Amino acid sequence: MEFQARREAAAVVVALVGRLDAVTAPVYETRMHELIDGGDVRVVIDFERLDYISSAGLRGLLVTAKQLKAKGGQLRFANIQGGVRAVFDMSGFGSMFQLDESVASALTALS
Amino acid sequence: MIKVEHLSKRFGDVTVLRDVSVEMNRGEVISIIGPSGTGKSTFLRCLNLLERPSGGSIQIDGVDILDRKADVPRLRQKMNMVFQSFNLFAHLSVLDNLTLGPVRLRGMGRQEAEAKSLDLLRLVGLAEKAASFPDELSGGQKQRVAIARCLAMDPEIILLDEPTSALDPTTVSEVLAVIRRLARDGMTMAIVTHEMDFARDVSNRVLYMDEGVIYEEGTPQEIFDHPKREKTRAFINRVRSFTRRIGSPDYDLYAMNAEIEAFCEKHILPRKTRQNLLLLVEEVLQVYAPYLQTGVLDLTISYSEKTDDLDLAWESAGEPANPLDSDRLPDDFGLMIIRNLTESIEYRRLDDRNRLSLRLRQDRGA
Repeated sequence: MEFQARREAAAVVVALVGRLDAVTAPVYETRMHELIDGGDVRVVIDFERLDYISSAGLRGLLVTAKQLKAKGGQLRFANIQGGVRAVFDMSGFGSMFQLDESVASALTALS
Repeated sequence: MIKVEHLSKRFGDVTVLRDVSVEMNRGEVISIIGPSGTGKSTFLRCLNLLERPSGGSIQIDGVDILDRKADVPRLRQKMNMVFQSFNLFAHLSVLDNLTLGPVRLRGMGRQEAEAKSLDLLRLVGLAEKAASFPDELSGGQKQRVAIARCLAMDPEIILLDEPTSALDPTTVSEVLAVIRRLARDGMTMAIVTHEMDFARDVSNRVLYMDEGVIYEEGTPQEIFDHPKREKTRAFINRVRSFTRRIGSPDYDLYAMNAEIEAFCEKHILPRKTRQNLLLLVEEVLQVYAPYLQTGVLDLTISYSEKTDDLDLAWESAGEPANPLDSDRLPDDFGLMIIRNLTESIEYRRLDDRNRLSLRLRQDRGA
């Protein structure tokens, strides 16, 4: 999995590429924790190039949500599609978060 | 008619038939099915004494043909054989292939033998090929000649050893049609075959051979629709399996994924099925994560080429416990994914082990 972070005016955008599974979820959690600890508390996660997610990945996302909530931050998910969308739907995870059709609309919502 | 008891056959250190007992009655058509190398052809060859059994007895109409005093040539004439590779004499015409046995072995006059042979060639639809040589015939025609030659000896039972497996698929049906006709006419036959639809249609009884024994026998309905034993079921449903032992919480998920992908590729499973299978495997492994700290887990993925079913069986040791009991899990995400990906979930305690069986849900509409 690749973890690509870039700063926009309204938030930090984290693009996840590849797989978020039992192997990569701990790596994701570490990187995201560093980002939040560094003061980035408004986060958009871009799933456009994420091919695969399992419940281990969902748990990692949940950890992020809890960390941001504790710091009064905000989290939005953008471009959830295909197999990742299916896992969000079948696990009920999608109904717990703000899902945006694009990074632009997520940033607009946060600005 | 034929009573086989405790028949065994060894070739050196290799035991091909361990303990075969069966009775065959007049007018019965018995199909012998099973995986390659399980002794089906050897069994037929032992019946005809083309192979000398290592042990047991074979009685025909009450006479033990393994007895030294038995008139083997006469008994053998009662039971003629059709081979996979035809075994016709290439230097003789079709008609001479048929008359050879009756003239030389039974002392029949040439004219009578020729008349009878022509009748038999008509029966198998090849009277116009009487003067042809085997090399001028197709595979299906050669096998029909071989069947006619077999009938020329007036056998009471015909043994057919994979009669269609050397044939071009286009000629299989013409040979099967001839065998079907013989069955209709009441000929007693034992047929080793891989043609399952044919075996189902033509037989009164089916023997499934495996491990050098008759592993299961029954009517075609019993064997093909409701096989009782595991190996029979796997064979009938053409089940292909992938097995993997997971002995540590630090298992290599990606190496296992690559093996499962190769298994899926080999059986040409759709992309979505592969993705769902990989996700299901990972989710169940997550459920077993605490157990893997101390225990070993055995995974078997089975794919039925007949029904397209994809089944996963997970076996673990320890106290009786369903690993999917929700109070054992950290949250419901994994369980909800597993439920969504499966058609059925079953937990059973089997031989002091916990067995979790899952059937992958598949889009079968396409």
